[in-house]
This record gives sequence, C-alpha cells and structure tokens, in this order.
Amino acid sequence: MRKILLGTTAVVSAVMGAAIMAPQASAQEAPTVRIGGFFQAYYGYTQQSANSSNQGNGLPLNVSGANENIAGASATGGNGGGVAGNNIARLGRHDISSDAAVDVIVNGKLASGLTYGAQISMSSTGQEGRNITQRRASTGKTTVAIDEMYAFIAHPRFGQIRFGDEDGVMGGLMNSGWVQGFGTGGVHGGWERFVTRQAQGRTTTAPGGLGDNSKIIYMSPQFAGFDFGVSFAPNSGVGMGNGCPTDGASGYCDRAIAFTGARNFGIAAAGPEQVARRNEFQAAVRWRGNLAGVGIAGTVGYIGAGAARDMTSSGQQQRVFSNLNIWQAGLQASYAGFTLGAAYTYGDYNFFWGNSIRGDRAAEQLVVGGQYIAGPITVGANFVTGLFEGASKTTLTDTGTSLTPSSQVVSRSGGLVNGVVQPGLNTVGNPNGMSGQRRWGMGIGANYRLAPGMDLIAEYVYYSVREQGRDLDPNRFGVQSRAFSNVFLTGVRLAF
Amino acid sequence: MTHIARPILLLGLVLFLVACSGGRQVRNDEYGTDNQRELTLRQTGASSSSGIVVFGVDRSRQQQDAASGGGGMTVNAFLWRATLDTLSFMPLASADPFGGVIITDWYAPAQAEGERFKATAYVIGRQLRSDGVRVQVFRQIQRGGQWVDAPASTSTNSEMEDRVLARARELRSQSAGR
Repeated sequence: MRKILLGTTAVVSAVMGAAIMAPQASAQEAPTVRIGGFFQAYYGYTQQSANSSNQGNGLPLNVSGANENIAGASATGGNGGGVAGNNIARLGRHDISSDAAVDVIVNGKLASGLTYGAQISMSSTGQEGRNITQRRASTGKTTVAIDEMYAFIAHPRFGQIRFGDEDGVMGGLMNSGWVQGFGTGGVHGGWERFVTRQAQGRTTTAPGGLGDNSKIIYMSPQFAGFDFGVSFAPNSGVGMGNGCPTDGASGYCDRAIAFTGARNFGIAAAGPEQVARRNEFQAAVRWRGNLAGVGIAGTVGYIGAGAARDMTSSGQQQRVFSNLNIWQAGLQASYAGFTLGAAYTYGDYNFFWGNSIRGDRAAEQLVVGGQYIAGPITVGANFVTGLFEGASKTTLTDTGTSLTPSSQVVSRSGGLVNGVVQPGLNTVGNPNGMSGQRRWGMGIGANYRLAPGMDLIAEYVYYSVREQGRDLDPNRFGVQSRAFSNVFLTGVRLAF
Repeated sequence: MTHIARPILLLGLVLFLVACSGGRQVRNDEYGTDNQRELTLRQTGASSSSGIVVFGVDRSRQQQDAASGGGGMTVNAFLWRATLDTLSFMPLASADPFGGVIITDWYAPAQAEGERFKATAYVIGRQLRSDGVRVQVFRQIQRGGQWVDAPASTSTNSEMEDRVLARARELRSQSAGR
C-alpha cells in the first residue's frame, strides 16, 4: 500500500507539483469597497444574585469608578466605595437587547499576488455595559463606536501584516479549542448583555476580551500544516490621538508608563483602553491538518506584557502589578459535523486579562466545548472553569513611602431583615494571603439557519463566581461568598 | 545590539526562511475573529462577500457566474476543471461535463514498473464543496504477463481528491483576480 501511495502521489506531484507550487501570476485587482453589517435582537430572562443593590462589592481591586449602577451617584472611596444614599434599585427579569454594526471592508490585489485591504467596524455595542458613570451620563447606550479598524497587507510567500485596532494572535486570531460556534457562543456568548457587573459576575475570560488595542500583527503562511503569528501593542490604547484629555501628561495618556493611581487599573476601566497593561506581546504557533479524516487544529501560544507603575507615593515609581505572563494550549477536532475542543490557560493574569497584584496567585482556566452541525441546525455546549486572583489585596494604601496592601473589611451592624434578626458582621481578609476566586460556567445553545446569514437562536447559560469570605452581595446579610447568574435568551441575528 | 534590534533581526530571519520555504497563503477566513458580522456569516454559511459593493466590481458575482459554468454545466466549473487538470497526466478515455464523470484510460507510470492505474472521477453538484468530488483509482499489477486486478488504497483516492480540491481552490482564487 505504501508503494502504491508513493507511486501515485509521486507521479501526481511530479506532474502537478510544479504547477501547484509555482507562484501564480495574477491580474491586478482594483480595490473594492464593500459595506456589510449585522443586526441581532434577543429576549433574555435573567436570574442573578445582586439583583437589589446600590453599592459595589469593593472587590477585587482596580474597579475604581466602575461600581456605580445609578448615573449621578457619587463615587467616593477608591475601590468600589460608598455611593450616595437612597440610590437603591431592584431589577426585574425580562429584557430585550438589540444591537447592530456596520462594517466597511476594502480589498485589493496587485499583479504580484500581494493582497491588501482594510476593515472598519462600527458597532452600537461600544458604549453598553462599560458602566462608567461619566460615559453613560454623556452618551446614549446605542452610540456607535469603532470596534475594530485595521489595514492588512498579505503576500503569498511572506504572510500577512495587520496594523491597527485588532485582536492579537492569541486574542482570538489563532486560538484553537474554544468551541463557541453555536448559539451566541454559549458561556462566552451574548448572555453577558443581560447581567449586571455586580460582583464581576458576568465577565468571562475569553480570548476576545484582551481587546483591540492598537497593535502590529504578523502572521506567517502555512507550511507543513504549521503557521505562526506574533503581535505587539506598546500600550492599551485604541484609536488616534495620544489619549491625554488635557494638555498635561496623565495616566489617561496612551504612552503613560507610570502614573498616579496606576494601581487602580489592573482591570480595565473607562472603556477597555484604560488599563495598566503595557508592551503587550503575543505569539502563537498553530497546526492544522487532517488525521484519518478527522480535522485537527492545535495552538500553543504566549501572552506577555508589562504594567504601568504607580506614582502615587511621593512621585516614586512603584511596581504594584505582576507582568502578564500567560501560556495557552488548545486543541480541537472535527469529524462528520462534530467538533470537540479544549483549551487550557495558565499564568499571571486576572479574570479580566489584566495584571494581577504582585504576590497574588497565578490564574488557570480550562475551557471544554462541543458542537454538532446537522444541515441548518447547530447544537452545542461549552463549559469553563477557572481559578483566578482573589481579593487578598483589595486596597493599596499609600503610606508616603510605599503602598501597603489591605484586605476587604466587611463590617455592618445587625438588624431586622424579613422579620428575622440578623447578627452583625465584622470580618477582615488577610492581605498576605493568596485567596483564589473560582469562576465557572456552562452554556448550551442551538441555532436554526433560516437563510444564509440569518439564524434563530435559543441558549441557556449559567455562570458562577465563588470566593470564600468575600462578600459578593453586600446588600444581603451575611457574607455572600457566591454570585451567580442564569440567563435564557432567544432571538434572531442577521449578517449581511 | 539593543533589545529592539534583536526581535527585528529574528523576525527578519524568520521572514526570510518563510519566504524560501514556499508555504501556502492563509486566507483571512482561516483566522479567528470577534467581529460579530464575520462570526455570524461564518456560522450561517453565508459568504463573507455579502453586503453591497459601493466601489469597484463585485467579483463574487463573477465567481458565481464562472462557477455555474455559464454554458449550461450542471457541475461546478472549478471542480470540473480542477479534476481534468489533476488527471491530465493520465490518458483521458471519456469526460461528460453534464454528468460530471471523467474516466481515464490505463496508465503505467515509469516510476512504478509492473503496475498500472486507471481513475474515475465524479464531480457532484454545482457548489464548490469539499465533498463535491469523488475519485476512484483502480490498480492492476502484471503477473505472468497478465494484468490482474489489485486493490488500491483508499487513501490514494482521498489524496487525489485533495489534489483536485487544492487545484479548484487555486482556480477560484485566480478567477477572483480577474
């Protein structure tokens, strides 16, 4: 059999090989400008903890200014501190969510075979959910913002360069094992739009969460099944301009490498771009091929980054964050409509792909998923579990010469709740500890393809955050060590 | 050497090696994305050339015309031409573009003495799909001056199909460059 194979393929290769491998002279192609877009609308039924709340949970560090759920409430205190009294809200369970985007896509080709183009995506989801009081007070929830914008130049032999606001090679471009091609993406899908950020109970740590910060990306051609890519972003900013809101240099400037209050931005605030991550480097090697009729894709990748230093204490530059130092390996297999995949991520990062506080634990995360496509119907499920940096160090107090960590203090007087006398509380975390936060979730979903580009979707997602001793719902008595959400959504989406 | 120069030199070296190795160009739709439009198009089986062309020529329409054959072909033109190209090293016995059947005559490659091959290819349907072509290779070996049937490996068939599909993809991308 081996001989036969050798014989036949050698003949074919000898005859065809030259023709296949030789670079093709191709006609130059004038650029086209295409306008497309998408629309989606879902009904969502949501059950979540922290449904009645007027204050942030204070944890973990780095969500300053992002805790308020009522526009106009004053933010006092650095880390989810007090909110003006009487701003209490209770949430219902029903909502309809819609969003749309318009994309401009440019493509062209030179006679040398070099292709080029650009993509600009304008999305109405840009402002939603950032939960920054100033933004919500000044712009509508459907205000259009740029999601991605980049140009690319690709050559059959040299590979492709992308330049602009786009995901990195491990931020979604070359990952394997993340099975989310069903529903709206299962546990990494659209359920987040229905859940509040209280207790950070809705954020999953999926590749796209790294953000589209302005970067340069190189991705190689594929040889022997392998292709690789690297990307580099000097800072976390997007778009043009230097980011400085005033004439002076401040922490908002894209190029700020050390600034007052940098310790508050291990987790992104003020949109995804205000975060301490600097000099973000990503590298990925991917193999794709066919083994006995089973399509296989595997990726091993690395994400590294430094962090802006804090200058709060007497102008000294203090290193408060660990460098981002993340390894990820993923594998997926497809056969006869089935796809199974898993990806494991380990390293120094927090649940928001941000820098963790020095001395805190490394994070690890496992994602497993499967889906099946039968004609117009797709069904699938995925599961994620991860252990992340907990709230050992919720505040870093400026002592004048250093920043001293301290833990969350849960202190409140007892009282009558629903006719039951509850005891008071006074617990203090251990700032020298390495507490961990368990985040896990699962999603199942189905799609029915009504027409090319259009499908009907039904999906259910459960997501849970647990951390012993940390109060994830301060408006309920006792230390609520758990936050959860259940979301059922159904709706339609259309891409054109 | 500065810490900036090293990665640039390394990248340059890698680019040089990549350029010499003659790899395959990776298409944009082989990369992941979190662009909602692109995700939806991929998941619902729609072409990423959806939308409206506001400047330039809509080549996807040309491709559709080319693929449908224009001359009343009932099979995909790219697959048909790719199959003919791939099997052209063997003498052709018959080709029916309406039924999508190509039958070659017996062919004895110089590298494999004492055996000869014959292939039948079926091009199925008008769509350019990976299951749109089936190739069956027959093999005979010479025994005592007589040609007798011998089993051909099924992987040979799939190898040939892969060749056809690769060629079809190439023809399609060339057509896109018109």
